[in-house]
Amino acid sequence: MNERFRWLLGTWVLLLVLLAAEFGAGFLPLKPAVRPLILIAPVIMVAAVGIMFMQVKRGPAVVRLFAVAGLVWLCILLGLGSLDPMTRTDVYVQSTGIK
Amino acid sequence: MSETSLPHEFQYSSAAHQAETAVSGMWLFLATEVLFFGAIFLAWIYCRHWNQAGFDAGAQHTQLAIGTINTVILLTSSLVYSFGVAFIEAGNNRRLIQCCAVVWGLGFSFLILKFGLEYYKDFSDHLFPGPDFSINGALSGGARLFFVFYFVSTALHGIHMIGGLTLVGWVILRARRNEFSAVYYTPVTVVGLYWSFVDIVWIVLYALIYLVGRGP
Repeated sequence: MNERFRWLLGTWVLLLVLLAAEFGAGFLPLKPAVRPLILIAPVIMVAAVGIMFMQVKRGPAVVRLFAVAGLVWLCILLGLGSLDPMTRTDVYVQSTGIK
Repeated sequence: MSETSLPHEFQYSSAAHQAETAVSGMWLFLATEVLFFGAIFLAWIYCRHWNQAGFDAGAQHTQLAIGTINTVILLTSSLVYSFGVAFIEAGNNRRLIQCCAVVWGLGFSFLILKFGLEYYKDFSDHLFPGPDFSINGALSGGARLFFVFYFVSTALHGIHMIGGLTLVGWVILRARRNEFSAVYYTPVTVVGLYWSFVDIVWIVLYALIYLVGRGP
């Protein structure tokens, strides 16, 4: 019992440390294109909450299946959805002067 | 009384089977919620990619202090709820009620800070993307898009928070009637999953709204 409380408390401390790191990273003079790297800390925080607070490892195997399925479909959604804006090249056509 | 001797609905082989189905059902629901919020995150990627300067200019007008305090509040509420689950697994109903009451208070504080203080400041500063929008010039279009994302995503998260508070209140009421014990606490577990998921959504929104576009 006490060990479980210690693990939960340790997770909360880890989350606060990651939050502080993320907060600090928000003020770093990074180029706009690489600023989304700040999202590394929240991704670790999400994993910590899922594993320790939501206890994804407990319960039947189908729980893990649903959790993984949610993440896979999120990756497909964000991956395919980002494909167009990330790869499109704007081609400007010079005006011919014809009206 | 062991869990196998607990009453259960006719379609389940045992109370344990019923509990597993309830927990699995909540995880399936949360998987659909991932896609619901995933579309909002995709909107952020798309809008920021095409309007990076204006989008980041909008982010710099957000209330970072309130957002950070609210993040700490939600992280703490998930911790306290997990304590409550651990307590009821050990059969301590009184501690469960106390933990849920703290969680309810923390969740309510989040809503007060978000909608009572932060939204009030945002509207006072004319940051709602309407005719009085205060960010003008070349960055206005991107900043408007940012604040559309901000108001839609935080309002949807707020609705989920209200749902979570209602469920935590329901757990408190049932716990006060001594309906939970060391062998039956499935509703406590299921509501905890939902509450932590709402916390997860905020962890992501916090970075997208307050930090990525802020800069030095």
